[in-house]
Amino acid sequence: MATETLNNNTIPSFDFEKEMTRWNEFSNAINGPELSEGHTPRHAIWKKNKATLWHYPTVEKKYDVPVFIVYSLINRPTILDFAPGTSVIGGLVNSGYDVYLLDWGIAGYEDKDITLGDYVVDYIKKGVGRALRHSGADEVSVVGYCLGGTLAAMYAAIADEPIKNLVCAAVPIDYSVPAMPEKWAEGLKEGAFNIDRFIDVYGLIPPVYIEAMFRSITSPIYYSPYVTLLTRANDKRFVEKWRRMNQWTKGHVPLTGEAFRQISNDLMKENKLVKGEFTIRGNKVDLGKIKSNLLVVISKNDNLIPQGQSLPLMDLVSSEDKTHQLVEAGHASLALTGKLAGILNSWLCDRSNH
Amino acid sequence: MVDQKTFDPYDMFKKFSDQWEKQANDFIKGSSNNPEFVSYSRLTSDTQARYLEFFKKNQEFFANQWNVPTKADLSNVAKLAIQTEEKLDSLEEQLWKLQDSVDSSNKEMESITEVSRDIIKLVKQLKKEQTISKKELEEVKQLKSNLQEVKSELAEIHSLKEEILILKELMGKNIDTKAKQEQNLAVTSK
Repeated sequence: MATETLNNNTIPSFDFEKEMTRWNEFSNAINGPELSEGHTPRHAIWKKNKATLWHYPTVEKKYDVPVFIVYSLINRPTILDFAPGTSVIGGLVNSGYDVYLLDWGIAGYEDKDITLGDYVVDYIKKGVGRALRHSGADEVSVVGYCLGGTLAAMYAAIADEPIKNLVCAAVPIDYSVPAMPEKWAEGLKEGAFNIDRFIDVYGLIPPVYIEAMFRSITSPIYYSPYVTLLTRANDKRFVEKWRRMNQWTKGHVPLTGEAFRQISNDLMKENKLVKGEFTIRGNKVDLGKIKSNLLVVISKNDNLIPQGQSLPLMDLVSSEDKTHQLVEAGHASLALTGKLAGILNSWLCDRSNH
Repeated sequence: MVDQKTFDPYDMFKKFSDQWEKQANDFIKGSSNNPEFVSYSRLTSDTQARYLEFFKKNQEFFANQWNVPTKADLSNVAKLAIQTEEKLDSLEEQLWKLQDSVDSSNKEMESITEVSRDIIKLVKQLKKEQTISKKELEEVKQLKSNLQEVKSELAEIHSLKEEILILKELMGKNIDTKAKQEQNLAVTSK
């Protein structure tokens, strides 16, 4: 009798309808159309080549200093406005900040010669100038995420514009700390990979290679998210979140060959940014010239950017007001969960002329 | 026994998959973390690059023969469009600079107008004060001439007084002479 009860409680009965819904949802989530992106109201104030400078006006302005966000070059910035309630940009806008986002767009073959320096001078510098003009503000807070943080730091080092605050989240600065397997890193430094030839042939690094590169560093075999989706396919909220996440994860964009050449040769191989040898249009980028208030946000469980790559920025700058914050998150979940908005707001609120 | 968790085959499948994925990834990373893998990947990427170069050259050659634009031609056209956009951007920025300088000149003009308004006010006030001063000066002149008249009258009075004094003296002398003459007459008559 006892065994019978145990079996009744532990072995599930087969619910045909539930299983049909599960597999339908699973199939729709994988094969369905792309979900709409961008939840926070915005309008474009400047377009240059493929890039767009978006303005997210605040509902109730509380701070005079607007926030200018620079995202990575290898993925779409939709992660910063992921879903209502967990949007980093939405969080900042609701807290009373005017937000500007520099969306790089999708580079084409004609952009293959664009270097990191070009991105800094022709896009970020001009974009900040336009944001300042548009907002009528005297100063700006620059926030960089991932590789966007590296670009933001480079820009802050050469900027003429008044940068009051600089925030670098999940930022790679010191490439002497490898994120990839040890022997690969050694091979890269010793020139065992012929990256230059690869770049010369392709011109523009296709997104599939970008994805493969990051997969090889983080997780070469990657199917557990699909199993998770199958397990929770009856949970509509989860399925929608999963679809958005999957859309973003698969949404790698092409990287210009020259930018990739600089990342692999100047940054990863020779670590020029930390040594003060990285140049933009002939001028050395000295991170010591950064005097604005600095916040470095580091994710504890980041497989892509280890803590050791971000932390040295603290010692390289001349800022008097500088701090770093370790967050219990991963590389993407820092933005996905909207945690970053809270961190930014609590740090920026005292430094943005309330 | 009632709290016994229901067996969920998907949950078990997920746990198994996660474990397998982790082990497989660790195995791949471990087995590829060696110089041999690095040199093998260089070999494969070089081979791939060589074939791509070959295809690209052939493609360019045949496209040229058939008079068909290639990816490079299209990118050159796109670059021209980008350059035009950049020029428009720089023109817009120059217009902004011009607008800013016009705005600042307008502000300066406004401040100059305000200053000149103040100056006009001051000049008007000065004019008023000048007319008042003129009137006062005339009054002072009048006063001066009056005073001079008074002075001359006083001088006349002073000379009259002196004449009176002389007359007084003369009259005193006459009285004395008369008295002496009377005394002399009296003495002679005696």
